[in-house]
Amino acid sequence: MQPQIQQAVKQIGQLIIGKQQEIRLALSCMLAGGHLLIEDLPGMGKTTLSHALAQIFGLDFSRIQFTSDLLPADMLGVNIFDNQQQSFQFHPGPIFSQVVLADEINRASPKTQSALLEAMEERQVSLDGQTHTLPSPFFVIGTQNPLHQAGTYPLPESQLDRFLMRIQLGYPNWQAEKAMLQQPHHERGQTLPTMIDNMLRASLQKQVHDVHASDAILDYILRLVTFSRESELFANALSPRASKALLLAARAWAVTDDRDYLIPEDIQAVLPAVAEHRLRSSQADGLGAASLSHKLMECVDTMAA
Amino acid sequence: MLRLNPSAANHAHLLLTLVLLFLSLSLYEPIQLWVLLLVVCAAVMRFSLYMNWQKHQLSVRTLNLMAVLCALVLAYFGWELGLLLGMLNLLVMASSLKMMLLATRRDYFQLIGVQFFLLGAALVFNQNIAFSLLYAGLCLLLLMSLAFHINPSASWLVLSKRVATLCAQALPIAVLMLLVFPKLGPLWQMPTGKGAHTGLTDKVSPGDIAQLARSADLAFRVTFEQEVPPPASRYWRALVMEEFDGNSWQIHPYRQKLMQRHWRTGSPFTPQVSGAAYQYQVIAEPTQQRWLFALDTAVSNEQHLWQNHDYTLQSKIPLQSALAYRVRSYYQSNLPPALEQLDSHLNLQLPERANPKTQKWAKQLWQANPSPQRYINAIAAHMRQQGFSYTLKPQPMPVDPIDTFLFEQKMGFCSHYASATAYLLRLNGIPARLVTGYLGGEMRGERYMSVYQYDAHAWVEWLSDDGWQRLDPTAWVAPLRAEYGLEQAVAHEQSFLADAPLSGLRGIAVFQALRGLLDDMDYFWSRWILGFDRQNQQDLLKVLLGDLSPVKLALFGLGTLATVVLLLALYHIRSWLLIKGDLPNWYYQKALAQLARQGIHRNKGQGPADFCTQVEAQVPPLSAQHFSALTRCYTNLCYRQLSSEQHKQQLRQMRDLLAKLKRSLGQGLLT
Repeated sequence: MQPQIQQAVKQIGQLIIGKQQEIRLALSCMLAGGHLLIEDLPGMGKTTLSHALAQIFGLDFSRIQFTSDLLPADMLGVNIFDNQQQSFQFHPGPIFSQVVLADEINRASPKTQSALLEAMEERQVSLDGQTHTLPSPFFVIGTQNPLHQAGTYPLPESQLDRFLMRIQLGYPNWQAEKAMLQQPHHERGQTLPTMIDNMLRASLQKQVHDVHASDAILDYILRLVTFSRESELFANALSPRASKALLLAARAWAVTDDRDYLIPEDIQAVLPAVAEHRLRSSQADGLGAASLSHKLMECVDTMAA
Repeated sequence: MLRLNPSAANHAHLLLTLVLLFLSLSLYEPIQLWVLLLVVCAAVMRFSLYMNWQKHQLSVRTLNLMAVLCALVLAYFGWELGLLLGMLNLLVMASSLKMMLLATRRDYFQLIGVQFFLLGAALVFNQNIAFSLLYAGLCLLLLMSLAFHINPSASWLVLSKRVATLCAQALPIAVLMLLVFPKLGPLWQMPTGKGAHTGLTDKVSPGDIAQLARSADLAFRVTFEQEVPPPASRYWRALVMEEFDGNSWQIHPYRQKLMQRHWRTGSPFTPQVSGAAYQYQVIAEPTQQRWLFALDTAVSNEQHLWQNHDYTLQSKIPLQSALAYRVRSYYQSNLPPALEQLDSHLNLQLPERANPKTQKWAKQLWQANPSPQRYINAIAAHMRQQGFSYTLKPQPMPVDPIDTFLFEQKMGFCSHYASATAYLLRLNGIPARLVTGYLGGEMRGERYMSVYQYDAHAWVEWLSDDGWQRLDPTAWVAPLRAEYGLEQAVAHEQSFLADAPLSGLRGIAVFQALRGLLDDMDYFWSRWILGFDRQNQQDLLKVLLGDLSPVKLALFGLGTLATVVLLLALYHIRSWLLIKGDLPNWYYQKALAQLARQGIHRNKGQGPADFCTQVEAQVPPLSAQHFSALTRCYTNLCYRQLSSEQHKQQLRQMRDLLAKLKRSLGQGLLT
């Protein structure tokens, strides 16, 4: 693994024990410049992870707790008339931050969700005819409860698509949870050192774009998406945007592995995170059902026939 | 666990059943009736299972009981049937029983195999073009059944396309086999079939040939190489009859003995011939008999023919199927007597039963005309003047037939005239014999003609000083017979083929043309497909290669082989090019195959690195090392950007590693 990234994974791992793979996925997602959706039950460490990610990258962080009465303006900011200057002054909302934790995104009304997703895509906010550019880098880490919980508005497929990855943390295993309980005292607001500063992040992001994807790998990706389109196993097929996302995420993964070319295992490592939420119908049970992306991996040959 | 009803809506089983049914029905002659009934029962049972009217198969116990009973019945009848028919019946019976039992894959494949064999066997019995087409169709049905068995859910269209493609690919091979495969002689002899045969018989009573004249079946076909004889001299000799008992004529027993003696001692008869000859090929329809047809002094040097001393030709085995043979006929001289003493001795014998009136009249006539030629002319004049007529409906003449014919009825068919004339000649010491065969032939093209059963004819040969002379007494009373055929000769009484079904249609031009067309097709089939024998094969090779020499033959064989290889190569070249273009993958697949032999299989979804980790845990360290190096090479080649130099180097390394892996795994197996 790339040494700095290994360090970062280790650091975060002290907070969220036994979830190395997920942490690494989250880091690759950030390196790829994509937004991350963390989906799990309450109390699994979703918020902790997002905090940790912001700290590791040394970025400023804000948190928006989504509720059903949250309005877009509460999130984006408002124009307020300034009596002294006799003009409207823009007061930026909490979204103007490098890392935005959109907590429990599926509790908000669809209107607010759309506003957030639009900001995510455009990386800017339009208000009363004025465009305000969001800071760069701009990461949104959405968390959401599994869909069947009461009082939620499930994100439509088209909006789920905006998240590069969706990860699930899941329960820790026996040893991990025991180790967690054995930890002395977990201070609130404990900060992690910045491990990946802007310089390093920029260079790593450049590396991501330089990773070589051979014909064989592109063919493998195409076989995967084509299979998802032809088979009846999947509620939704993978779109061209999904195949782009897959390639991008895999490249980032390869960088965390300190490699400058892609191998099928990279694709397979990111496939569940990248493809699962795109394959699954939003109506379906979020958890519990067999993993569609694993099914896809089993059915598609990694080598050309 | 078997399904309760494996045939329900199973197209494969249905097609198989249909093939067995049609095949057995087409073999109604050689197969016994009770076996046919069994087949029909099996077909009905299978069909009701297919429609799911009936959901349960017969129990194995019931079937075993039936099988035992059937075997007993067959054993009882089998003695009379002989080996070939017995085996055929056994096979059909067994497959109908198996059809009742059919449940597992194994049963199915056994049945399919047997059906293909039966199709081949059926061609022994039925060879004409209609049956051949039927069997080809059945063969296609069997292939369709196989296709359905392998892929039950596919549609008819898809499968028929696949089967058609396969057949189209097989066709050139079949043609090649037909052309170049060595022609073997028959391995067994067909038993003489039962059932009625049309055609000549070896014993002729006056009136017999009239029966034959009512049949429009084909007797044989002839293709002339150059010159075609004029209609009036198309006397096709088949049998020479020298034994007369006062009523009927037959081949003299002494002649037969003599022939058998010559045959056993293997001393063939080579006739003395001179002058010009007609050259032609005859394709005789199956008659179950041995005699063949030829003009005048016929000579043939075919291996499977026997030349008789009376210049007739015989086949060494009875004609179970159409037989083609080449003949040269020397038509310019009379037939020289081969064994003069014997010939005249045999042909002067008179029956003890007397035709007193005829004897008396013959003496008177000879006294008035004491030389053979004048005597014959006198007989001819008598018949012309006394109102003799030619008829297809002669009255029966039970007592003293020749007396009755000459002095009371004065109506008769060719055999009456021939018989009477030969008798009259013998009475006055002129050796004479009856010859039966065919007169005429319908030209179907410039060079080939068909001869039908209604062309059957009988005439006389008498021994003059310069050999046997042909004498056709029928021509005295019905000169049209020789020149224009039977139809014209009996036009006055409208009896020609009067009893044949659809005889009214003969007059209609369209039907004539249709019949001609069918005949032509059938001729082509017999001449070029069935008649394609060793001689034809050699001729073809001669045309292709010039004179045959072992070297040329060997080269031709090699050339044929090379053609086949080339065609196969063309067919496979795409996949070879693919391998060539994707060598790393090919090497890797080879390595995978090696590992698969050790019981280590890659899951489809496993990437190479992933699989390598799995393999390392399962094979000895040395092999693991080789395989992981090979995987590294593979990964580099497939997924990395390499310079062409590196590419080559990696490929080389991969090849070496593959060999090493093979060796190390092999050693692992030994220890």
